[in-house]
Amino acid sequence: MADVSWVRQYVILQRAALRAQLQYRVNFWTTLMGGVAYQGTQLLFLGVLLGKFGLIAGWGFREVAFVFAMRLASHALYVVPFGSLRLTDLIVRDGEFDRVLLRPVNPFLQLITRQFPLMSIGDALLGFGALIVFGWQAPVEWSVAKVGYLLLAVIGGGLVETGIQTFFCGLSFVAASTFSLRIFADNSITQFSGYPLTMFGRGVFYGFCSVFPMAFIAFLPASLLLGRTEDIPLPVWLIAAAPVAGPVVLALGYAFFIRMLPRYASPGS
Amino acid sequence: MSTVRAFRGMTRAGTRSVLIYRGDLVTGAITLVIQVVLAIAVWRTVYSGRAPVNGVDGQTAVSYAAIAACLQAVLLPWQFSSLPERIRNGQIATDLTRPLGLMWQVLGQNLGVLFGRLPLGVVGLVAAGLLGALTGPPGLGAALLTAVATVGGVAVAMLCNLIVSMVTFWTFEVSGPLIVYRFGSAFLSGSLIPLWFMPGWLRSSVEWLPFQAQVYTPVSIYLGQTRGGEALALVCVQLAWVVVLTLLLELIWRRARHKVVVQGG
Repeated sequence: MADVSWVRQYVILQRAALRAQLQYRVNFWTTLMGGVAYQGTQLLFLGVLLGKFGLIAGWGFREVAFVFAMRLASHALYVVPFGSLRLTDLIVRDGEFDRVLLRPVNPFLQLITRQFPLMSIGDALLGFGALIVFGWQAPVEWSVAKVGYLLLAVIGGGLVETGIQTFFCGLSFVAASTFSLRIFADNSITQFSGYPLTMFGRGVFYGFCSVFPMAFIAFLPASLLLGRTEDIPLPVWLIAAAPVAGPVVLALGYAFFIRMLPRYASPGS
Repeated sequence: MSTVRAFRGMTRAGTRSVLIYRGDLVTGAITLVIQVVLAIAVWRTVYSGRAPVNGVDGQTAVSYAAIAACLQAVLLPWQFSSLPERIRNGQIATDLTRPLGLMWQVLGQNLGVLFGRLPLGVVGLVAAGLLGALTGPPGLGAALLTAVATVGGVAVAMLCNLIVSMVTFWTFEVSGPLIVYRFGSAFLSGSLIPLWFMPGWLRSSVEWLPFQAQVYTPVSIYLGQTRGGEALALVCVQLAWVVVLTLLLELIWRRARHKVVVQGG
């Protein structure tokens, strides 16, 4: 397939994966609903919490909901094209990865087209729906530049999450199971990345900007748009540069994946 | 081989299937501690300098969040049983030829998984204790009733999980229903937010569902928020759910038996 571009390869494989998933009709609809319901739970949680308590660390519902919406839209941009990365553990453990290595297609491309993540359609519907609704209600004076920045930030956030998950894929070549780590990353991003992250204290906040860079997914660019950068112990130019973190984290994650690839040992038959 | 020994064998296999991935268990424990720390921070921030809300003070809310996160990690894993996988790849044929009934095999295995995950919950609770986020039960009676309610919660969680897994007999794919179940159990069980803070309409709907028995019932009894007759009533509701869900499971299994398709060759 050397003469076929990787984009074309991606489209062919992803379409086949989607067709395979669509065989199971009941599962298709329940998974789609599941995506909306799962993420909707978090919104409901924030609604109940802020309905009862009014403010979290000085942030009101309109602000928190905007961060939530950015976070979810970013998540959709990770999970729709790259969501099947979560299956890597399983493929490595049962030796299926042997076959991946035998095919003349980039292993990473095969991993991301392994199974179409149906739930992601639910995530995308809710994420972009919420971004429109809560973006409208957010205390931001929108201009073309700000909308452009918002789009870049959402794409960057999606790439940050993809980079983190790609890193875990590299890790699964040397660790028997990275399931807990993946669940942790997913849970933490789902449950906590919508909060004003400075409320967890300076040390933890810096951790969210470096070791586990979830601050770049929504919080930092959202604070710039909401004009709340004074809450954050970072220079404004660094906060403004948040969307750049996406390509950087993805490049680092992919470099790690490629470096760990030769360490894959087949579990045998 | 007696049925009890066979059941114990399945339980042991379930526990081993968790304990064999030690690295995963260690990262699971570390990440649970981080989750507990973050949950505590959220509730402390929310409550900072605030008087009790709906009769619940800050320390109780923080304790609730920490215990609920640990209970959720043990009781509501992403995947409890290998049943869906076994139906999909045809191994169900071998399972059905075993002398122990399929439902007992799966329940035994699920119980084993739960035992294997118990150390996680303990590590999370110790961390919460070290952070001063735990309060003791109001008395011996509450402590004993909490133990009973926890067993009831485990039973309800396992039955619900198995019922959802049974959908695979009809659809072959179960990730969708499992996600919807996760949504149900995470929010409606009260593990994300206690029922005390839910608006009236939501709370009264949640009280009609089996999920609150999994997390809310044991934790609210432990923290003394539900006492006396009301606590006993909640445990009775748990028992009623165990009976109803067992009957439902039996009914589904009777129908599923006629739906078994052995895949693979």
